[in-house]
Amino acid sequence: MVKFSVEEVRRIMDKKHNIRNMSVIAHVDHGKTTLTDSLVAAAGIIAQEAAGDVRLTDTREDEANRGITIKSTGISLFYEMAEASLKDFKGERDGNEYLINLIDSPGHVDFSSEVTAALRITDGALVVVDCVEVNKLDRCFLELQHEGEEAYQTFQRVIENANVIISTYEDPRLGDVQVYPEKGTVAFSAGLHGWAFTLTKFAKMYADKSRVDQIKMMEKLWGENYFDPSTRKWTTKHTGSTTCQRGFVQFVYNPIKKIIDACMTGKKDELWEMLEKVKVSLRSEDKEQTGKALMKRVMQNWLPASDALLEMMVFHLPSPAKAQRYRVENLYEGPLDDAYATAVRNCDPEGPLMLYVSKMIPAFDKGRFFAFGRVFSGKVSTGMKVRIMGPNYVPGQKTDLYVKSVQRTVIWMGRRQESVDDVPCGSTVAMVGLDQSISKNATLTDEREVHAHPIRAMKFSVSPVVRVAVQCKAAADLPKLVEGLKRLAKSDPMVVCSIEESGEHIVAGAGELHLEICLKDLKDDFMGGAEIVVSDPIVSFRETVLEKSSHTVMSKSPNKHNRLYFEARPLEEGLAEAIDEGRIGPMDDPKARSKILIEEFSWDKDVAKKIWCFGPETAGPNMLVDMTKGIQYLNEIKDSVVAAFQSTTKAGVLAEENMRGIAFEVCDVMLHTDSIHRGGGQIIPTAHRAMYAAQLTAKPRLLEPVYLVEIQAPEQALGGIDGVLNQKRGHVFEANQRAGTPLYNIKAYLPVVESFGFSGTLRAATSGQAFPQAVFDHWEMMSSDPNDCTSQAAQIVANIRKRKGMKEKITPLSEYEDKL
Amino acid sequence: MLYFVGLGLGDEQDITLRGLQVVRTCRTVYLEAYTSLLCFGLGPSAISTLEELYGRPVVLADRETVEQGADAILEEAKSSDVAFLVVGDPFGATTHSDLVVRARNMGVKVQIIHNASIMNAVGACGLQLYRFGEAISIPFFTETWRPESFYDKIKSNRLLGLHTLCLLDIRVKEPTLESLCRGKKEYEPPKYMTVNTALEQLLEVEENQKCNAYNGNTICVGLARIGNLHPMEDEMLAIFSIQSHAE
Repeated sequence: MVKFSVEEVRRIMDKKHNIRNMSVIAHVDHGKTTLTDSLVAAAGIIAQEAAGDVRLTDTREDEANRGITIKSTGISLFYEMAEASLKDFKGERDGNEYLINLIDSPGHVDFSSEVTAALRITDGALVVVDCVEVNKLDRCFLELQHEGEEAYQTFQRVIENANVIISTYEDPRLGDVQVYPEKGTVAFSAGLHGWAFTLTKFAKMYADKSRVDQIKMMEKLWGENYFDPSTRKWTTKHTGSTTCQRGFVQFVYNPIKKIIDACMTGKKDELWEMLEKVKVSLRSEDKEQTGKALMKRVMQNWLPASDALLEMMVFHLPSPAKAQRYRVENLYEGPLDDAYATAVRNCDPEGPLMLYVSKMIPAFDKGRFFAFGRVFSGKVSTGMKVRIMGPNYVPGQKTDLYVKSVQRTVIWMGRRQESVDDVPCGSTVAMVGLDQSISKNATLTDEREVHAHPIRAMKFSVSPVVRVAVQCKAAADLPKLVEGLKRLAKSDPMVVCSIEESGEHIVAGAGELHLEICLKDLKDDFMGGAEIVVSDPIVSFRETVLEKSSHTVMSKSPNKHNRLYFEARPLEEGLAEAIDEGRIGPMDDPKARSKILIEEFSWDKDVAKKIWCFGPETAGPNMLVDMTKGIQYLNEIKDSVVAAFQSTTKAGVLAEENMRGIAFEVCDVMLHTDSIHRGGGQIIPTAHRAMYAAQLTAKPRLLEPVYLVEIQAPEQALGGIDGVLNQKRGHVFEANQRAGTPLYNIKAYLPVVESFGFSGTLRAATSGQAFPQAVFDHWEMMSSDPNDCTSQAAQIVANIRKRKGMKEKITPLSEYEDKL
Repeated sequence: MLYFVGLGLGDEQDITLRGLQVVRTCRTVYLEAYTSLLCFGLGPSAISTLEELYGRPVVLADRETVEQGADAILEEAKSSDVAFLVVGDPFGATTHSDLVVRARNMGVKVQIIHNASIMNAVGACGLQLYRFGEAISIPFFTETWRPESFYDKIKSNRLLGLHTLCLLDIRVKEPTLESLCRGKKEYEPPKYMTVNTALEQLLEVEENQKCNAYNGNTICVGLARIGNLHPMEDEMLAIFSIQSHAE
């Protein structure tokens, strides 16, 4: 029943102009997975009849139960396009056969890391937007019974909104990324019923009949174009005549509506007549159906969703050959003129292998993992020895670098996998045998390509702010837990598993739902069902400072022969965020970085040149700046101070939470004349103490994570929402009615600490009418002083310290600051 | 009273008469054990050799005890006699002046009993002590830490026609770099620099700096276990060019 063979798929992989790599992305519950099903159905993997109900890419039981997608799933599909429909395609192509590598990704914000991973390895996206909902057109026609003009207005608004959002991500390298129905970049679809259309489809139909140019017709079918059948004239304004209607309504909406009405009311004679006009023939058993089932079959036959989507993809998405030409700049870390960048730019199958592994997919026995990624140049083949550059790899060094053999290369097709000998550039691939050496993602090259730089690591838009401690119920299961955590860390791009000083195992995720899923995976899949005990959620905080240090602090090295002088100060507003976003970072060209710092953050020109490093993890939102003048041999202690800075910023003086938004300034140093007396053993602990002292003298403060909560609810629920938010220290900052609906879109800030059980409380307070979605938004400074033992901040600090097995009291300054 | 007692260079027999008398009367005896070692090392037998001679228990004081736990030692010295044994001379290669200053500040009386140090015993090689310039240490190079500042000192010494005493690194109970960053206590295995390693590092630095302070043909004297009279592991003294021993 599968309409294509692995051989066919593999054959097209060599035609780089006939491949499309695409992610399906959208808000939760807007119908992505359902839509994906239609495409899969067209490729023949599942029956057309079942399309819309199977959710083929929801491979997990919990996904099916909850009706949401949790893990992004890849699927490779093969299509043969009709010659006629390709005649207008102006790009390069090679025959009529196309390979579409599709990745269905989750919509819930908690899983947006999965989306990031999907986008990295695809060249385009199908953004599904619900407009009461356009995509769930079935609802539009059935439940809401929208009138034509009203429907047009709704569609128009949604497309405008989508374009506004898209425009914020515009990049000149991409060209025009806005979508226009009249150009065929918008498809209207009814996911559940498996039908969809683009204006192209209708334009073509009318063009054939009336011999109008198809392109012209398309333009007429959208926007301010009206047609009056009584005068047979097009106008750009409504003439006021009762027969005058918008082109879209007249030629697109009404015909669909008529047919649907005919199906639903059982006027079969009328229906057959209409169907004949649009050249749709039904099988005889389908003709026996009535009501919805009949409508579904009719619409699927007339306007199959897959046709509309395929046409869009083939015509409007870039092929890998086209996309990699501009993507290389953003992808490759090394020089853009070396052999590797060139091979990626040209999508050269004969070039050196460049492959990015974006995620690890657990195999069905749960023991091993497939490494899933995209080949950007060269070919990866079974048995090939590859060089694996992990996220911490530094060119020229040996850290995070492995050489392994690929045991098998596999094409991923939803629930099925097919082994192939090799996969050339432009396609996605899964590999067996590399899971021991790849933790989450990596760049692969051929074993011999020792000069290749890695492909840039992914930046996630969410961060793991919610954490729980897990323990196993039976002590004997501990090895299972340790192993299970390792596997969990591998299987999800976002989750972080760590061990606290106190020996606790911590699992950190993006939100409550994300964590819940992770813990379920841990228990059922990675620990073979062993019982675990999960603590209450732990929220990570950040430590920062409010002011510049009250004085320059000094710490002496253990041998008393070296003295370091430090100060701490808060980073300028917006700078920490700029570092988060990667606008400023360690990899920047120092000149460009200085320019931004001087112009946007009013740094001194000389100071901007003397940034030693960022931290923690060498890229975090804290800076170490050298303010000394004319110190001999300072560079000999620089490494030690930097090492101390990295560990210090990871664990601040208040509660050993990460620091954020602090600049540490090295003001002066006095060094022993002999380098043996100022080695790492002397300098690292001293710098550490000096920075702690500097933090303590600069009014240390806690930052707490805050969620942006989006709530959809009807008007009568608003009071309840306000009440719950107030009670949880949250506040609403935006409330808009969604045009054309009785629903309100509410945006509010809510401290993460207060968010546990928020959904439940909210549902109770609004009789189940409010649906919140929370995503980490920003860090908010807690105004209270953690050194004042009655304050809320002090209480939080004490709790964290207790949990971490530290002394409850913050260590006093005298422990860190020395006197001359 | 806090006594700083130099132990000399060889074995337990090298302590001075005055030093021995003092040690025998002290309540607690600390042996500083991280800047230099007596020839018989730090094993339990070495300690017991000392204890037998002194008739007092000997406490091994590593870097942490001396640098971070000094207050405890000083506090004890306030009320009773404490001996602080240093291999060589208390103010020789490694200066314990900080401890002396702190003791004085705390009102602890200090007495110093000197002994031979490599700083003077180096005269054994035949070069006049008068013609030595600034002394330097050559630390173990690590992957990221390769200090070259000693090069400038050798250069200026040679410009003035002076010899340079190069002390070679000894790492006993030094915390590892990772442990320093994580704040946990983990120690490197003990390491003693050989003359050959030092020569290799010297050549590497010359290669980088290219100031011709010395070259492969420069004559060096290597000294090991000076002052040691043990028949099996005798003191060693050799003259050679840098090139001939660096590999």
